[in-house]
Amino acid sequence: MIGKSVIRKEAWDKVTGRAKYTHDYLETGMLHAKLVISPYAHARIREIDTKKAFSIPGVRAVITGEGLPLTGEDLRDRPPIAFEKVRYHGEVVAVVVADTLVQAEQAARLVRVVYDPLPAVGSPREALEEGAPLIHERLGSYQKGKYTYPEPNTNIAHRTKIRKGNMKKGWMESDVVVEASFSFSPSDHIAMETRCATAEILPDGNIVIVASTQSPFMVKRLISAYFGEDVGKIVVRTPLVGGAYGGKAPVQLELLAYLASKAVGGRKVSVWNTREQDMITSPVHIGLEATVKLGCTTDGYIKAAEILFLFDGGAYSDKAIDVTRAAATDCTGPYHIENVWCDSLCVYTNHPYASPFRSFGHCEQAFAIERTIDLLAEKLNMDKLELRMKNAIRPGHTTPTQVLLNQSNVGNLPACIRRLYELIQWDEWQRIEIDARTVRAKGVSCSWKTSTIDTDASSGAIITFNPDGSVNLMSGVVEIGTGTKTILAQILAEKLKMDINDVHVKMEIDTQSTPEHWKTVASRGTFMGGRAVLEAADDVIRQLKDIAACILRAPIEDLEVGYGKVFLRDDPSIYIPIKDIAYGYKYPNGNAVGGQIIGRGNYILRHLTPLDKETGAGKPGPEWTVCAHAVEIEFDKRDCTYKIIKAVSVIDVGKVLNFKAALGQVMGAMSMGLSFASRETFLFDQYERVLNPQFRTYQPIRFGEHPEYIADFIETPQIDAPYGARGVGEHGLIGMPAALANALSIAAEVPLNQLPLFPELIWRTKKGEQYDSF
Amino acid sequence: MIPFDLTYHRPSSISEAVQLFEQIQKQGKTPLYYNGGTEIITLSRLNLVFADAVIDIKHIPECRVLDRKQNELTLGAALSLTTIEEANPFPLLAKAASEVADHTARNQITLGGNVCGQIFYRETVLPLLLADCDVVIAGKSGLRQHSIHEVFDQHIRLEPGEFLVQIKVDPIYTTMPHIHIKRRKQGNVGYPLVTVSMIKKERDLRVAFSGVCPFPFRSQAVEEQLNARHLPIETRIVRALQQLPEPILDDVEGSAEYRLFVLKNILTDMLIALEEG
Repeated sequence: MIGKSVIRKEAWDKVTGRAKYTHDYLETGMLHAKLVISPYAHARIREIDTKKAFSIPGVRAVITGEGLPLTGEDLRDRPPIAFEKVRYHGEVVAVVVADTLVQAEQAARLVRVVYDPLPAVGSPREALEEGAPLIHERLGSYQKGKYTYPEPNTNIAHRTKIRKGNMKKGWMESDVVVEASFSFSPSDHIAMETRCATAEILPDGNIVIVASTQSPFMVKRLISAYFGEDVGKIVVRTPLVGGAYGGKAPVQLELLAYLASKAVGGRKVSVWNTREQDMITSPVHIGLEATVKLGCTTDGYIKAAEILFLFDGGAYSDKAIDVTRAAATDCTGPYHIENVWCDSLCVYTNHPYASPFRSFGHCEQAFAIERTIDLLAEKLNMDKLELRMKNAIRPGHTTPTQVLLNQSNVGNLPACIRRLYELIQWDEWQRIEIDARTVRAKGVSCSWKTSTIDTDASSGAIITFNPDGSVNLMSGVVEIGTGTKTILAQILAEKLKMDINDVHVKMEIDTQSTPEHWKTVASRGTFMGGRAVLEAADDVIRQLKDIAACILRAPIEDLEVGYGKVFLRDDPSIYIPIKDIAYGYKYPNGNAVGGQIIGRGNYILRHLTPLDKETGAGKPGPEWTVCAHAVEIEFDKRDCTYKIIKAVSVIDVGKVLNFKAALGQVMGAMSMGLSFASRETFLFDQYERVLNPQFRTYQPIRFGEHPEYIADFIETPQIDAPYGARGVGEHGLIGMPAALANALSIAAEVPLNQLPLFPELIWRTKKGEQYDSF
Repeated sequence: MIPFDLTYHRPSSISEAVQLFEQIQKQGKTPLYYNGGTEIITLSRLNLVFADAVIDIKHIPECRVLDRKQNELTLGAALSLTTIEEANPFPLLAKAASEVADHTARNQITLGGNVCGQIFYRETVLPLLLADCDVVIAGKSGLRQHSIHEVFDQHIRLEPGEFLVQIKVDPIYTTMPHIHIKRRKQGNVGYPLVTVSMIKKERDLRVAFSGVCPFPFRSQAVEEQLNARHLPIETRIVRALQQLPEPILDDVEGSAEYRLFVLKNILTDMLIALEEG
């Protein structure tokens, strides 16, 4: 069962179009909300006039920001609806609730808002300049988490510091030093299903939320925390989710749906993003400005790293704080460096606010680091993979946050690099001129990632039986398209030695009956959910053996569970079918013993600690997944256009649990990384308004534009993980932007340190901003 | 979602369509002729198009004609871009059509809609301008036929209540040497950074552009410079580009400088190919 390419459980529903998502559950009598959004990036709200909106029939309420609590996961800086001022283009300024969506939309257009525009901040560096407009004047007064360090009277929401070793010593030992700066603007996740939620407050006070979210359990906790509702009265349901990529980890529309329902006497209200609003109103993919300085010996051993990450967290910090912390945690990339200085800042700007994006700060960080590694190799005149191999992180080394690594928690990066070397025929050529205009080049990168989630995050699982002996599996992991629920079913089928078709998976989450899984993020579903399932399976096995021991009159130790039976280990012909005991055993005379067997399992992360404020020392996650990547491109030297020919990722996954599912995850992630790196960005005007919140002008990669994808796996088991498997949901993405930029820099013979890599950017870089004018 | 109510009308003849338009307008309402509808649907969502009524002309037989006669090729305004691609009666037009939007959208987008649309690229008009085609227009006083140059200047110039019924092309233009190059900001789908169509009629080159200015155009001044064969190609291109009708576009697809760079390269490739070919 382990490693088999089992077709995902929800596949038939999905391919026949019958699978249902949040917005498919429409009900008569349900009201609809429409968001009124700010056309300005930074402005004072002078007046909101809602009178005209009420002239539209069917309008039930218009909600504005007055009197609402501030929200935010690490730092409460965000009113759910803007109050007094707007801080980004697309921010919600009012919510109109009406009988139909058409009425709500008509009325929303009649809400008159008078703004006094304020100077807008367009980048982290601009935000840090002296005299820059303050985006949060009252930053010092915000409620915050214990490990969040905002700097009042600046635009810094949080700073993570990494101080490892002795920088002076590091630079002393360095013969060669390179330094470079990198940048890219915010972009978006572009999940197929836009974000949406419904809320209903029942007469008994129960609050029922249905949402397309990665965090149903967090929705429940946060609504309780923000609005003082009893947490037990809040029920969150999440059906299948149509792509999330981190964009559905933050809690936003759920709060608006709750407020809207409250404003109309508890009636059910639906809040649903149009594509344009999904792109700018809801949280986006973070931007970055970075400077990296690396020093190494002449024989290529890196001795010092000084890294500055200025993340464009946008107008509100929310999850961006965590993202910038995660980038700091793994700031050096998967390399052994004894002396590390890193400051990672979550900076406020007047851009849409940031959320996690698949790989959580890592593809961003890796772009800066892996480009610098290439620059270092060039300066050393050393082979780019050799330099990476020399410095590859290994058991016995420590991470930037000073975690001591072993084979179980870090896997085998050298093996990934060696496999990559073969797969891309690295020794044959790295840059080759095809003809006068065309050149092919290979770019490489390495990456790693740990999970950096809450130190007390946990996951639960419940197993129940059906009368035929088949099982039902309930886990709090949301099916966001990764197929994790199927993997959990495989883990259970393997453990109970039963047919995968006899494992029935509950797809929907209902926080009242599904055991909690902290959030479906950080490639943690298989690890934590899997551990919980294994514990629940052990619980079931113990209970089955208990009752079978009586009936078979044999000691528990002599019994085995499998193939739908409990049998004697030394004589399998003596057995009792599970179906005869799963609901209690009935003796021929009608007496019964036992009863329903319900298995429960739980897993809580262990030994994790928050990072030290001054040094960053601490254990952020249980394990790292390490990877090596390559991209091969064909570049037109005259036009500066290019084709991506091939993309490769070699990942130490510990153990492949479902081969095709793993391939799908890795290839999908690579595609997303190349799309981001080659074409996805928001474009802003001089007032920091987004110019392209539409597919007409924001064009992700399309089928047919993709290169050949090659995914390969190394298997160094993580000992404490289910069957040794490490997280793999994000990792194919991490090294793609860097590998593409490295390949193009080699082909174009200029350093390309910005994203996305539009031909125009390459042309400009080659020209050094000097161009012919006719 | 279209955030306003509208009535949908499906006339089966030209006269019925024209009458409907007039009637609706007389009631003080705003009618729109509706062909593929992609632009009406997508722009009304954004409040950039409004109508009380749409009059669907796709079912009028004359609008659906695809007729290859010896001396005249007739193309109905309601033919979808994919129909034109597949039937391929005019290879340069088929090529231009095949580069618009994506395949799913091209099943819906019509020739007439692309030529008459609000979105200013209107790339299928480039081959039509080069072929000196005629357009058949329906209005209150019946059908009129004109050279495209009389009714298309940056965009189609129609009187209220008129609509484009057919395009008539002299078949000699469908067999001339031609090139169509579309370059985007990135990738194979999307709006043009620059699109250029060129044909060679006897010794002379004709050229039309989209994405260079906020309208498609063919310019005699540009063509004169390009056809000054006694000069080297590079000089001709430089001089031709000095004749552009307006400053070059500078927008989210690309800067003016970059567009110039791309345009120069495209023209160089085209001139070499067509003059040597």
